[in-house]
Amino acid sequence: MTALVVGLGDPARGDDGVGFAIARAVAARALPGVSVLVRRDPATLLDLWCGHAPVVVVDAVRSGAAPGTTHRLVVGPGQPPLPAGSWASSGRGTHAFGLAAVVELARALHRLPEQLVVIGVEAASFGHGDPLSDPVRQAVPAVADLVVELLSEEVPSHVPR
Amino acid sequence: MTHKLTDGGRVLQVGTLARVEGEGAMRIAFEGGDVADVHLRIYEPPRFYEAFLRGRAHTEPPDITARICGICPVAYQTSACWAIEDACGVVVPEEVRLMRRLLYCGEWIESHALHVFLLHAPDFLGYDGAIEMATDHPDVVELGLRLKKAGNALMELVGGRSVHPVNVRVGGFYRFPAAAELRAFRPELERALADALTAVSVVSGFEFPEFEQPYEYVSLRAETGYPIEVGSVVTSAGTAFPVSEFAERIEERHVPHSNALHARLVGGDAPYAVGPLARYSLNSDRLSAVAREAARDAGLGDTCRNPFRSIVVRAVELVEACHEALRIIDGWTDGTAPSVEVPPRAGEGYGASEAPRGTLFHRYVLDAAGIIRDAQIVPPTSQNQASVEADLRAMAATWSDLDDHALQHRCEHAIRNYDPCISCATHFLDLTVERS
Repeated sequence: MTALVVGLGDPARGDDGVGFAIARAVAARALPGVSVLVRRDPATLLDLWCGHAPVVVVDAVRSGAAPGTTHRLVVGPGQPPLPAGSWASSGRGTHAFGLAAVVELARALHRLPEQLVVIGVEAASFGHGDPLSDPVRQAVPAVADLVVELLSEEVPSHVPR
Repeated sequence: MTHKLTDGGRVLQVGTLARVEGEGAMRIAFEGGDVADVHLRIYEPPRFYEAFLRGRAHTEPPDITARICGICPVAYQTSACWAIEDACGVVVPEEVRLMRRLLYCGEWIESHALHVFLLHAPDFLGYDGAIEMATDHPDVVELGLRLKKAGNALMELVGGRSVHPVNVRVGGFYRFPAAAELRAFRPELERALADALTAVSVVSGFEFPEFEQPYEYVSLRAETGYPIEVGSVVTSAGTAFPVSEFAERIEERHVPHSNALHARLVGGDAPYAVGPLARYSLNSDRLSAVAREAARDAGLGDTCRNPFRSIVVRAVELVEACHEALRIIDGWTDGTAPSVEVPPRAGEGYGASEAPRGTLFHRYVLDAAGIIRDAQIVPPTSQNQASVEADLRAMAATWSDLDDHALQHRCEHAIRNYDPCISCATHFLDLTVERS
């Protein structure tokens, strides 16, 4: 199985572009056996990640931490759900069918990859047409390093039930 | 949230409606056991589309107005193209109409699949949402996801991408997909047709409240086939008029509690309804044999007046859209130009098409250079707002004994019968300041 890295977000919305920026930084390293993709719609993950392991998803997050802070969560089967509030993903409408909702839908449908790590980069703002904020832009190389590191190590897939 | 009133009444206030497109709220006031007031409040901020279309080139509305909605961009593109072409006096070739219809089938499939399975089915099966429902009914959710994916794929094939397609232009398309590309998509569409037939039998097994409403139905009716991308207007009262008369026949009014305009038919004060029930009731004779048979097996008559059964009609329309897409693909031959020139001229033009949630009207006024001087967009959700409120008023009266949680759930279910797209409907009043 090939590894998969997905950058989520929208590069036209300020720090929501951080997933794209990191995915591009990882892709630039041309790692053998690693697919790197960018997507705006998290719902596409349901099909996208089938048959891949490990899978690393990078997205902007708002949990109240300092902008640029990196969160790393193992989200495989048997793991607790993503904190929905932080992932802009209440699942309330369908325009906001976010990552946390997709993970839970995939879990219910047994479509969650065995090895899935979600990396969240704390965002400062999501202004229309804005570039990445300084702290988020400065975090990109280190997060790309982290993704590469995750791909090369054994990603824990299960915690004992 | 509820407030008990000192006189024994209560007010149910739902701050944010779930599983609808966009941001809306609802307020119902009871006095004793009677419903005193019902407001569907659309508080999503105004978006100023009609204002910022003024001054733009006549080639721009398909791309600009597509951005009004991520779920039904093809409806906006299609109505906009017809209206601009009408203003310029251009009639596009039949191939362009067919390709618009094919693209539109993709949108119906993805939009209806989303609404039927992920938004509306949880109401009937007793879940808070699709995620909760997926644990117990994974087959139902998988069916919906598969259909939605087929719709998205068709939009990508014809439109270049599934959200806000990029291949549509005034006068036609930038490129027609080759017949071979279209034929290669057949197996996925055949599977989607089978899934859609399954969908009809799944949703027709749901339980429906006994409830019928006497609204006047308004829909397009085409010369042939079920109305999707084109037609003229017909109503259940027997009125018929060309799309070019919609601005005289339909009146939009501002109501204080909503950022969406309410629409009424001129000369009548009762609400009217657009959308699947209206389309079906005015055009069930135009369905393909396979869709008609599915409708009959689902227990639908020639017309349907129960808003809760709209989920069954949407499923029948899924069958129709899959079948129609296959028919267009099978008849497609290469070799025609994908577009015609649409040179600008001064004038006014009208366009309409059947968005998944109902008739969408566009009107543009151009100057001789093709610059837009006026624009009017009448989306289905604003036309349905009064019916939604009337449904809530009628139903809430019979539900006054329910506790708040149950009442809220029933009311949200009733709103979702219309698959409202609040983002589309958001509008803004003209502000006049009088000083003395």
